[in-house]
Amino acid sequence: MKDLLTGLLGAPEGVVLYQLLFATQFTIYLSAIAFAGGGTVGALVTLLRIAPARSARSLATAYIWFFQSAPLLMLLFLFGLGVPRLLGVNVNVWLAASAALTLYTSAYLAEVWRSAVQSIPTGQWEGAEALGLRFWQTLRLVVLPQAVRVSLAPTVGFLVQIIKGTSLAYIIGFSDLMSVGKRWANAPVEGTEPFIIYPLMALIYFALCFPLSRLSLGLEKRLGTVRKTPPIAA
Amino acid sequence: MDLRFFEIYRRSDYLLLLLEGAALSAALTITAALTGMALALALSGARYARLSVLRHVAAAYVEFIRNTPLIVQLFFVAFGLPTLLGYQWPFWAHALLALTLNFSAYFSEILRSGYATVGTGQTEAAAALGLKPRQTFFKIVLPQAVAKTYPSLVSQFIFLFLTTGVIAEIGVNDLTQAGKFIDSRTFRSFEVFFTLTLIYILMSLSFKGGLAVLQRRLFRWQVAR
Amino acid sequence: MIDIQNVRKSFGDLEVLKGIDLTVERGEVVTVIGGSGSGKSTLLTCINGLEPINGGKITIDGTEVHARSTDLNKLRTKVGIVFQQFNAFPHLTVMENVTLAPRKVLGMGRAEAEAIAEKQLRHVGLADKLSTYPSRLSGGQQQRMAIARALAMSPGYMLFDEVTSALDPQLVGEVLETLKMLAEEGMTMILVTHEMSFARDVSDRVAFFHKGVMAEIGAPDQLFGAPRHPETQAFLSKVR
Repeated sequence: MKDLLTGLLGAPEGVVLYQLLFATQFTIYLSAIAFAGGGTVGALVTLLRIAPARSARSLATAYIWFFQSAPLLMLLFLFGLGVPRLLGVNVNVWLAASAALTLYTSAYLAEVWRSAVQSIPTGQWEGAEALGLRFWQTLRLVVLPQAVRVSLAPTVGFLVQIIKGTSLAYIIGFSDLMSVGKRWANAPVEGTEPFIIYPLMALIYFALCFPLSRLSLGLEKRLGTVRKTPPIAA
Repeated sequence: MDLRFFEIYRRSDYLLLLLEGAALSAALTITAALTGMALALALSGARYARLSVLRHVAAAYVEFIRNTPLIVQLFFVAFGLPTLLGYQWPFWAHALLALTLNFSAYFSEILRSGYATVGTGQTEAAAALGLKPRQTFFKIVLPQAVAKTYPSLVSQFIFLFLTTGVIAEIGVNDLTQAGKFIDSRTFRSFEVFFTLTLIYILMSLSFKGGLAVLQRRLFRWQVAR
Repeated sequence: MIDIQNVRKSFGDLEVLKGIDLTVERGEVVTVIGGSGSGKSTLLTCINGLEPINGGKITIDGTEVHARSTDLNKLRTKVGIVFQQFNAFPHLTVMENVTLAPRKVLGMGRAEAEAIAEKQLRHVGLADKLSTYPSRLSGGQQQRMAIARALAMSPGYMLFDEVTSALDPQLVGEVLETLKMLAEEGMTMILVTHEMSFARDVSDRVAFFHKGVMAEIGAPDQLFGAPRHPETQAFLSKVR
């Protein structure tokens, strides 16, 4: 692959492109970890948020509120610099980046999934209750299957947000597409000027994000969406 | 583990630095929101242009911005464009341009969804009174679309504000940069960035409050309902 | 004079007007009745050029509505239209609703436009609602405001498209009163309506539309008292 690209484009262009594409895998891994971690934590928070116990609901509400209000960049600083220095331990940069992105993701997904569950008419709950189903049975058998449909589009849409979010992890020393590209852009090598490297990186990010955006849009058209999805940006 | 917030809070020079950073963050975000909104207006309008090239360019621009990270856009604007075109601006100007370009894409999509909510009855009535399409758009459609999508515009604005910390990466002395400076002097990273997080949250809440007041001012006809 | 000659109009495959001929003289009040889908409302939107036509021609005071050279915006200032849905502009006060077109289309100054608006609003009984927003008005008041909004352009002709159909029954009366007042003042009007006794009361002529054709037209006493066309008879016996 490296030889092929160097052969096609020559050095340094071929080498740079190879290194960018190689580093892209870490962007993908980190995104996958954040999505899996955030999905798991998010599911737990969603359950707390709709649980019958009031204290559980308040706790989940506070959690969602805080991690939706906190800037991702601050979470990265807190886990990449703050926690290690506070505890006086070394924290692996993968762990720090994953933790920050997981919390960030979990809050968003919990919010989306909560709205999805609560968008199911109360008549469904009452109907199930009338049949003698318990809370958790109703949730699992009646409500969730309907809620999953409408939450699919915003959930996939948020993947785009996660991928874009991973671009900030280089700030705490994570090595990915962003950090490798930035290094090349700063290097005094002809053919790696910032006006070449950054558009190239943007294209790679676009290639990862755009299909997911389209998929999300397609799902929204087919399955519908949660009426009030929180905004997505940057 | 010992938390020593006082190391930051007792130093008036640090507090002043944070205050100045917060002020610059707020000023740049608000300005970028206004210029971004103006650009968004043009972009959303271009989606209805008679010239199909214009429609496609606007759509491609919006998709491209929305599907790439802000920081890459920022670095391109701050380092790529100046080397390519041979100009140099102050850091804050690069930041303002990048944020404007970024905000505009998100706002234009919201505006577009707003236009769709204004019924054909409204445009038909305006046409029947002899108003030209331009007048109908600015006098009838736009005010109603902005009013209808105001809550979305506000939450998008807050959301974008929370991402502006990246401008510290090109050397702008914003709130995040102030935090990074204090961190480099004190090594109390947890305390510093936790404080910063709280300031960002507090500022978001203030924006939300201010924009709610503005909403009641601007859209009295809607609240009256 | 509004002169309608052999006008045809289709939406896709559906022909809704199949060659309509009608001449309305100045000062005349013509009411159009007929079942839903008879094409009567479409005719009104064609008359002021909101809808293009597929055949025939419509001329207003000698200007052909659908000719390429016609400035529709200018023409529309001569022909006011009021819709079934009031289409009040919700973000503007009653006064602003009425002054918008005189200021933006006719280029009037604010004071002049407001004087005219106030006169028209007083005329329709809304003098005390000038700075109110439409959401605070009843349906009947909104519709009267829409009438004042059209009148503020000093049109030579007024078109009314089922203006009472979206109103609660108890509000219909006030709007009909306003229309009747306009008719008595000599305004040239074409009204599409379902209010038969009102039509009989104010009209100079009544036209009955059926499936895109003007089946019958005549003086109100003749059309309501002794309808000639079997479809007119059937329609009238149903609505009574």
